[in-house]
Amino acid sequence: MSGLPIADILPVALPDPSADRLSTLFDAHYERLYRLARRLVPTTDAAGDLVQDTFLKAARAVASIPIGSTDEEAWLVRVLINLRRDEWRKTAVRRRHQEEARRSTRVCSDQEAVFVARATVWRALDRLTPRRRAVLVMHELEGLTIPAIASLLGVSGITVRWHLSKGRGDLARVLRSHGGESHGKR
Amino acid sequence: MESVRDMLRDADPLRHEPPRLEEERDGIRRAVLAAASEAPSRSSMRWRINRTPAALLAAGAVSVLSVAVLGSKIWSGGSATLHAAAVRFEMRLADTAFSPGLREARIALTGGVVYLHQEIIVTNDDISDSQVIDGERPSRFGVAVTLNAAGAEKMRRATARHVGELIAMLIDGEVITAPRLRSPIGASAVLSCDCTKAEAERIANGMRIR
Repeated sequence: MSGLPIADILPVALPDPSADRLSTLFDAHYERLYRLARRLVPTTDAAGDLVQDTFLKAARAVASIPIGSTDEEAWLVRVLINLRRDEWRKTAVRRRHQEEARRSTRVCSDQEAVFVARATVWRALDRLTPRRRAVLVMHELEGLTIPAIASLLGVSGITVRWHLSKGRGDLARVLRSHGGESHGKR
Repeated sequence: MESVRDMLRDADPLRHEPPRLEEERDGIRRAVLAAASEAPSRSSMRWRINRTPAALLAAGAVSVLSVAVLGSKIWSGGSATLHAAAVRFEMRLADTAFSPGLREARIALTGGVVYLHQEIIVTNDDISDSQVIDGERPSRFGVAVTLNAAGAEKMRRATARHVGELIAMLIDGEVITAPRLRSPIGASAVLSCDCTKAEAERIANGMRIR
């Protein structure tokens, strides 16, 4: 009567294959992405934001996400790392100031010393580019092999080895430059 | 001598932090699926109207942002995107210069161009109240928006890091205004749209529909 297609006047949401796909992607990959994100950013909130932004990007591009668990995981991981890279670049200056402020804090107890030592390592990671950091995290903490990381990131094994080597060296150098109060012997 | 692997394992936050709460995961899931229903497909409008309300509604501490905006073209200009019942509200960070990942958008009231960040800071789901308020000119009105606790926290977090940059307020995908952040925003914002009373009421009422 009104000339409107039925779909336009239905009072309920219609099934949407895109939403179904996204829902499946979320359930399959959220935990993995959160764990990676948490190891790439300073706080739990930032990790949650990063994962959410990754899936929001996926929501806008569902049709272009490759099919298959491995390929879709690789797609999501790359998006996550790229998003982190954008944020990392934006906050580079502020990070340096915070770094200097933290260095001036004093350690008052053994417990705090342990905390500061961990924080120092984790802040040193902040100096690495997100891709290099991701390679380091995936290899050293997640236990992924070099070919597996190469496949996830869409780069060659040689590139992964290069990032690993540079990442370890950068990390050691940054820790040394922190004066060695916490990690002087490393 | 400790290896890099040992150092990283010892410092790994996942070893020392409690597991993420289910509700946090569910909140992200809900936001993502809501975004999917609003994605570019033309069917988004009916999805939006019937979307389930967000679970988290709580009173938030209030700080006020006054957004001064000139012009009045959009509402009298009959924007085709305004829906009779629901309006889609978003706030996003924006830049004045293009960089990869940003989307160009024209400010409806002034005609200026801004470049929108992809991330949406808050949407209708984050609104706990919206009211018509007097505008800066006689017989013109704006809309005061109060965010719920979750929305206020997201807003604080996002804006604290971007003082001095632009924040865009969008209605149904159109940028109404993009003022510069002078300080972090908390739970409240004012959309000074220079609307007629009927238009402001429509927006205020439509914003609360999720």
